[in-house]
Amino acid sequence: MLQKPESGALPIPQAEGKDGGRDGETQALTASQEEAPSPLLQESSKEDLGAGREEGAAEPALTPKGARTLAAKALARRRAYRRLDRTVAELVQFLLVKDKKKSPITRFEMVKYVIGDLKDLFPEIIARAAEHLRYVFGFELKQLGRKHHTYILINKLKPLEEEEEEDLGGDGPRLGLLIMILGLIYMKGNSARETQVWEMLRRLGMRPSKYHFLFGYPKRLILEDFVQQRYLNYRQVPHTNPPECEFSWGPRSNLEISKMKVLGFVAKLHKKEPHHWPVQYREALADEADRARAKARAEASMRARARANQRAGIHPW
Amino acid sequence: QGGARRAGIMTDVHRRFLQLLMTHGVLEERGVRRLQKHCYRVHGRTAAVEELEDFINNINSVLESLYIEIKKGATEDDGRPVYALVNLATTPVSKMASDFAENELDLFRKALELIIDSETGFASSTNILNLVDQLKGKKMRKKEAEQVLQKFVQNKWLIEKEGEFTLHSRAILEMEQYIRETYPDAVKTCNICHGLLIQGQSCETCGIRMHLPCVAKYFRSAPEPRCPHCNDYWPHEIPEVFNPDKEREAGTSKANKKPSRSRQH
Repeated sequence: MLQKPESGALPIPQAEGKDGGRDGETQALTASQEEAPSPLLQESSKEDLGAGREEGAAEPALTPKGARTLAAKALARRRAYRRLDRTVAELVQFLLVKDKKKSPITRFEMVKYVIGDLKDLFPEIIARAAEHLRYVFGFELKQLGRKHHTYILINKLKPLEEEEEEDLGGDGPRLGLLIMILGLIYMKGNSARETQVWEMLRRLGMRPSKYHFLFGYPKRLILEDFVQQRYLNYRQVPHTNPPECEFSWGPRSNLEISKMKVLGFVAKLHKKEPHHWPVQYREALADEADRARAKARAEASMRARARANQRAGIHPW
Repeated sequence: QGGARRAGIMTDVHRRFLQLLMTHGVLEERGVRRLQKHCYRVHGRTAAVEELEDFINNINSVLESLYIEIKKGATEDDGRPVYALVNLATTPVSKMASDFAENELDLFRKALELIIDSETGFASSTNILNLVDQLKGKKMRKKEAEQVLQKFVQNKWLIEKEGEFTLHSRAILEMEQYIRETYPDAVKTCNICHGLLIQGQSCETCGIRMHLPCVAKYFRSAPEPRCPHCNDYWPHEIPEVFNPDKEREAGTSKANKKPSRSRQH
């Protein structure tokens, strides 16, 4: 029986690995695979097809031999499909675990630790994993630039209002510190010298290499963790002697927060309104407009792609 | 047709719940209920708050295809119900792997082995630290190892009591399968619930073991507690069954209660 997808729910070929013998059934996915033969079918032929292959494709289904052939093929297909399923599930877990550390995940790591010899199916595997992440957890898998093959997870759930903010434990204070630094960077014209950052933190009672009960070692948090997590960019300013370094917003900051929000935070801190700083306010407005345009473009292209897929009869799951 | 199970529907309420449960690692039932209400408040004001068990079963039916589930267990010392998101496939200590270096993970493995082999379910700090030279990866000094053990406690993989370490309920929930498969001979199980047993009471005659909360439930209001296996007199103090309502009234938090960890083996 073809599995009819529930509205909004994933058409999940039900837990094959657990139930075992469902031999007579075809699943929604294998049906679509008939239409669009994927490498998966080639792969399944590498597994035990034994009798099937000897008989050849010409055997009619109605003879006992033919029925066995078909059954063997179906079994091999299901096995291969189960393996794919499993790999997708492991990739989802891998991405969730890695993202907890906020470090970007590379395609190389994914292939090395999870995908292994199914790496030719990487696009399909990652597409399915992305959909699970979106539907089940509310995360979007984002590629950081075409050529880099690095990915991060963005939270697609609506950002919490202050009153709704639940205590997230360890993360809260760190992110507060980060926003302070992002604020400083923004107000200084999108880059701030390292010395300026430490000066600000010193006023808050923090020293770079002195253990802090909330942040640990601030130097390590800011120069290593935040940079590695792509919240901050850290680079040497050319032609400075002695060499000085500066911070700017990292790509994750641009994805997770906006100039307007940070300006709002800074404004609140100073008990003023955002437009008290006209230059930054104008820049933030322009940034908001850019984001709105980019979002509209992305949605339009996604709709176009979905239509194209539908026409080609490709059902990614 | 084959009884196709209806997978539940995910909404932002469920997604937020999953995200926050993941950040906590493990959560007591009280916290889980608060979390559930919070998620409804934020994402589904108009919807009726579903009964917790159904709510979780709903989510689990969707998680099934990802080989993970929200698993319910109980703390071994006083039977508080706890929940964690666990892998159904055995990927040993994989969740820890992202937070800890190779030598730190090996330290955990060594501590785990000592805990499983021990009679009491506890391994002394000294015994763990003595194994520091055998660790894989970068060389670790004892002073550093002490801090790593504290990191395990903070991340809810180990519990420390009076200088000794045992497994946190989170570790038991997440690693039960791995532990059973990796240490099949050393592993102890509870005679009542058949779950993995780290801390518990044992019969001095026939050696069967039971979790403290399982003892509490089994011998509840029994005038003379006897071993379910050999019928000999059960020689240990019978703990009380965990009562969540009593807890809330008295306002006792875990921090206030001084645990009387009598050696009951």
